[in-house]
Amino acid sequence: MLTGINRIGDLEWEVPIGYVPNMRVPGRFFLSRTLAETLEEGAVRQLANVATLPGIVKNSLAMPDIHWGYGFPIGGVAAFDMTEGVISPGGVGFDINCGVRLITTPLTEADLAGKKRELIERLFNAVPTGVGAKSTLRVSNKELAGVMVDGARWAVERGLGTEADLVRCEGEGAMPGADPEAVSTKARQRGVPQIGTLGAGNHFLEVQVAKEIVDPEAAKAFGIAEGQVCFMVHCGSRGLGHQVATDHLRTLESALAKYRIHIPDRQLACAPIDSPEGRAYYGGMACAANYAWANRQAIMHETRNVFAQMFGIDYDEMRLIYDVAHNVAKFERHDVDGASMEVCVHRKGATRAFGPGAEGIPREYAAVGQPVIIPGSMGTSSYLLHGTATAMQKTFGSTCHGAGRVLSRSKAKKEVRGKELREHLAGEGILVRAHSDSALAEEAPEVYKPSREVVRVVHEAGLSNTVVRLEPLGVIKG
Amino acid sequence: MSFEELEHTADVLMRVRGATIHEIFADAGRAMFHVMYGPCEDRGVERHLSLEANNLESLLIDYLSELLFITEVENTVFCTFDIDLRGTRLSAVLKGEPFDPARHSAGTIVKGISYFGLEIVKEEEGYVVEIIFDI
Repeated sequence: MLTGINRIGDLEWEVPIGYVPNMRVPGRFFLSRTLAETLEEGAVRQLANVATLPGIVKNSLAMPDIHWGYGFPIGGVAAFDMTEGVISPGGVGFDINCGVRLITTPLTEADLAGKKRELIERLFNAVPTGVGAKSTLRVSNKELAGVMVDGARWAVERGLGTEADLVRCEGEGAMPGADPEAVSTKARQRGVPQIGTLGAGNHFLEVQVAKEIVDPEAAKAFGIAEGQVCFMVHCGSRGLGHQVATDHLRTLESALAKYRIHIPDRQLACAPIDSPEGRAYYGGMACAANYAWANRQAIMHETRNVFAQMFGIDYDEMRLIYDVAHNVAKFERHDVDGASMEVCVHRKGATRAFGPGAEGIPREYAAVGQPVIIPGSMGTSSYLLHGTATAMQKTFGSTCHGAGRVLSRSKAKKEVRGKELREHLAGEGILVRAHSDSALAEEAPEVYKPSREVVRVVHEAGLSNTVVRLEPLGVIKG
Repeated sequence: MSFEELEHTADVLMRVRGATIHEIFADAGRAMFHVMYGPCEDRGVERHLSLEANNLESLLIDYLSELLFITEVENTVFCTFDIDLRGTRLSAVLKGEPFDPARHSAGTIVKGISYFGLEIVKEEEGYVVEIIFDI
């Protein structure tokens, strides 16, 4: 157990001012005693570093999937005053708007009997994945500007989905304030051939079954029933987002002296929100976020087509429940000490989890709260939850984003053999398709914290409530 | 090879050692391409690169970021990095081969190079740097 931090509740911990020099507010994170045993000092230090940034409001926060990253810890959340505060790519990450969407189908597991292998193979062929993957979509430079401004709507207008999909995305699948001028030629060159591709690493397209309904009323509102086959898309803004982050990080790092900002880690490079550099980063980041929504929309479209062709079901019978971003900075209104305040909320490996009645969630879900989608690791459960009033009060409406790693990739490769893992999962009825077995080993279930434990903590801490547990049936990995 | 992968839960942390700064830059490039593609051969693809930055650490980040851009848009995999360094001005000759999914799928995508903890340190016999590759 680490020293210098205080347990202030069953699942709540405080990092006091003074843990690192120049902290402006205390840090706060949510963790069970079991998970606290694997907490890295480096992650707590990064949480404390964020508390030194100008204009931070209330607390530097971390969710129970907290682990050591760069800049912010992964699982980190921080809100900044719009006048005094800063915006930082280190609070978003290189994969801008990495996120998840969940779609239901009218099928049950029985409908997949004898066809699962063919389904996974066809999905693997339909959705370009892995290193070097290029899209089958042809997008001109001019069209790319539309992608960056309109996000998921661009895809729907191109026939890759329906109008109904848009209201079921965070922010209706596009962030306002996108500024294509803030996206370099290099970023555009990377973005054009990759739209509709999954990427690599922990990104996936997974076929799942709704195994356990924990909250029947919320499940009904979200339109999901026990035994229903679903699919989940997890990916981000690809090379375009990586290049936007790289370009602006360089600019912001050079501007630190101009704004007399002192930071303990260069990866926390930042600028005042309302400065030319801060505005440019926001405008570029919003473009990348919108690209990511268009990307997930395009992948969902291809997947729907494969299901429709194989099982004779209608495209419209595959309903998008919701799409969430888990690497992004957004302008939002929150109650701070009894007053409504506009802040810039950074979520790096954290999910927005707005409670019932909050502004910005679909009307059909208003009584329940925003759907929150937590992907499991390969072979373990994923979860659908809903946002809560407690999250609005304690975490600027935020919750965890996934399981969080406990084992390094190098250790994973030593301890896990991809081929054996693939065969073991097949024995459990989970088919895995990837370009290489070594990539599989790096993403083995045992390298992550158990997703059920992370979800238990956010549920018990009241940051979001569990609605459905989903089990994997087949996975396409990057 | 004069790079080794260290323990890091989220990303890839590489320690690169070199007798000279030139070697640091060459092996940092090799380390990154190793993470992304696995083995690579010189099959006649050659590319020149010139960059300048305010300090060596920024130059290293800019150089690796530029390599990420080139490999992605030009579909090339590099294995040899011939570095010419004058102060903080770099010229490099990169050699390698066209990307081939059948032979280059053993690795993963590097999304970016982190500034976190990146410092080129002079040791008794050369230099060392630790680089976090976001994957």
